[in-house]
Amino acid sequence: MRNILIIARRDLRAQFNSPVAYVVIGGTMLLLGLIIFILPHMSVGGVSVGGFWAIDRASMDQMFVCLPPLLSLLVIPAVTMRSLAAEKGSGTLELLITMPVRDSEVIIGKYLAACGVVVVLLAGTLLYPIAMFWGHWGIGWNLGALDWGPVWAGYLGCLFFSLAAVGVGMMLSSLTENDVVAFFMTTGALFLLYAVGLLVSLFQGSWTAVVEFISFESRFQSFARGMIDTRAIVYFLSVATLCLLVSFRSLESRKWS
Amino acid sequence: MSNDVMIYASDLSKTFGSFRALDKINFEVKRGEIVGFLGPNGAGKSTTMRILTCFISPTGGTARVNGHDVFDDSLAVRESLGYLPQRAPLYLEMSVLEYLRFAADLRHLDAQTFRKRARSVVEVCGLAQVLGKEIRHLSHGYRQRVGLAQALIHDPPILVLDEPTSDLDPNEKAEFLDYLKQIGKERTVMLSTHNLAEVEASCARAIIISSGRIVADGPLDEIRAKSGRVRYVVSIQESAGDGAYRGRGPLPKKSEVEDALGKVGGVKKLGELPTDDRAHAFEVVSEQEVDLRPEIFRLVADKGWVMLELHRDAQTLEDVFRSLTIGDERRNRRLGPQPEVEDDEDDEDEESDGDRPGAAGGDAAEVAAKDQRS
Ligand SMILES: Nc1ncnc2c1ncn2[C@@H]1O[C@H](COP(=O)(O)OP(=O)(O)OP(=O)(O)O)[C@@H](O)[C@H]1O
Ligand SMILES: [Mg+2]
Repeated sequence: MRNILIIARRDLRAQFNSPVAYVVIGGTMLLLGLIIFILPHMSVGGVSVGGFWAIDRASMDQMFVCLPPLLSLLVIPAVTMRSLAAEKGSGTLELLITMPVRDSEVIIGKYLAACGVVVVLLAGTLLYPIAMFWGHWGIGWNLGALDWGPVWAGYLGCLFFSLAAVGVGMMLSSLTENDVVAFFMTTGALFLLYAVGLLVSLFQGSWTAVVEFISFESRFQSFARGMIDTRAIVYFLSVATLCLLVSFRSLESRKWS
Repeated sequence: MSNDVMIYASDLSKTFGSFRALDKINFEVKRGEIVGFLGPNGAGKSTTMRILTCFISPTGGTARVNGHDVFDDSLAVRESLGYLPQRAPLYLEMSVLEYLRFAADLRHLDAQTFRKRARSVVEVCGLAQVLGKEIRHLSHGYRQRVGLAQALIHDPPILVLDEPTSDLDPNEKAEFLDYLKQIGKERTVMLSTHNLAEVEASCARAIIISSGRIVADGPLDEIRAKSGRVRYVVSIQESAGDGAYRGRGPLPKKSEVEDALGKVGGVKKLGELPTDDRAHAFEVVSEQEVDLRPEIFRLVADKGWVMLELHRDAQTLEDVFRSLTIGDERRNRRLGPQPEVEDDEDDEDEESDGDRPGAAGGDAAEVAAKDQRS
């Protein structure tokens, strides 16, 4: 347990010691702001985005439409590529693993650190609803009362979604020694896992059920609508666990190569 | 106490795909020993060390460190080890002090012990100037020092160091080897290196590995004696220049000297050494048992020549290393029932390209490799 925390702390510090974490978090915040507040209302593949001012409702729905794709395509791949792939590539893993630590402690520690970065980002995005709907900022201005219930549900969804997605990223990161490869594999995998839900209408019959079962998007939907879906939580946690087990095996397999 | 076996390897094998990186190697290292692990590139030194430090598993055989099996009890093995991997792969974004603290944390040192140990390793490794610097800004030598420092931080009973001195400057190298010798009395140190002078300076014992097999293992003197040859250097005055010639009779010609030396009993090989035009210089190689110096002196005195120089070289470790490992590279390391390549022709190549004589070929390699001290 102690080792897990030591490894997680080191990894977290390493993430924030490099510009990558700042660029990714800053970039995501910026993109999120642009999409929510600047983009005019439009409809992409049946999903409506943008038009925050036009909708004329006190709602942060938009954020939860945009956050999961941004997390999948940018943040999580960038964070997890460094956890294992980069360490394997540079050889630092050898020094870490020959310390008296269990392989599982290495995996879990690194997983926690990667989740930590995502949590920091999620906390950062709280600025948007706070700025828009809370307090008066000395100018006697805000957009009125926001129903915070759905916002918290959305964040909870993002959190569990991220736990699963970081797991996927860790797993793919453990399978290669090249961080760029790990980045794109993770982007691709998470894109598929997410986007397959948007295409659900294209599938027929029993396939619809399968797709809805796998898809992160379908699972995330209820959170975005303000409901806490325990089945989705169980699903996300199972995905995370499975991925961590695979990462653990893959780390162990170095011994036999 | 001093007879405990701290590192034990028995029939250790490792194959990568169909490539045999280690082929049933056996050795033991006892407490208080500093062992130099030698071998040409690709011999399998790092592979052996990685097995001992539980980074990879052997394909066959067993290894025990401090009494614990590397496979069944790897946590206990790693607790008793300090390991420096080749080329010291460190976290570049950490500062030196942060790194040492991280290593100490994983070794569960408390703050007070850490301070005490850190002070000592920082001094030994000469890190005081760079403690606050990020490792990425350090030169290679300093990175290696940090690697050494993290291996020493918990004062482990066993040290496994993969080429620990390859990037160090001579001063630091000497200081570090001194330190190893000093702590090595109570501990066990296994260090790999390509620098034979270093082995002579710091290790009493060497293990020479070549193409995945141990070709020599024992105290340095014993290994040195293995090739069984001795070299003499003789120079005879050729011209007196402006001064008076102090010999009897005419100045000797080169062919005369060469013939005469060739006839001395026990000479195995005779070669000319480059000199200016004042002297004829030859090297004479003989078997070890006979001392040729009296014979050579008698000869020169009888001829009335003037001897400028006569000395005997013991075989250097380097010669032995070369004779034990050259030609071995062509050994077949593929798995499967292919015939072994015959080594005979290799001996020829090596005698002609070797600038030092006495490098006997495969036969020396067969004077194998048992630790005969026990
Ligand atoms: N992971 C691996 N996969 C395949 N082959 C490997 C692997 N690791 C090592 N080898 C091979 O095993 C052999 C022994 O390698 P090793 O690194 O142990 O050599 P070494 O004695 O340390 O050499 P050097 O002096 O160059 O460091 C080499 O031929 C190398 O190519
Ligand atoms: Mg090596």
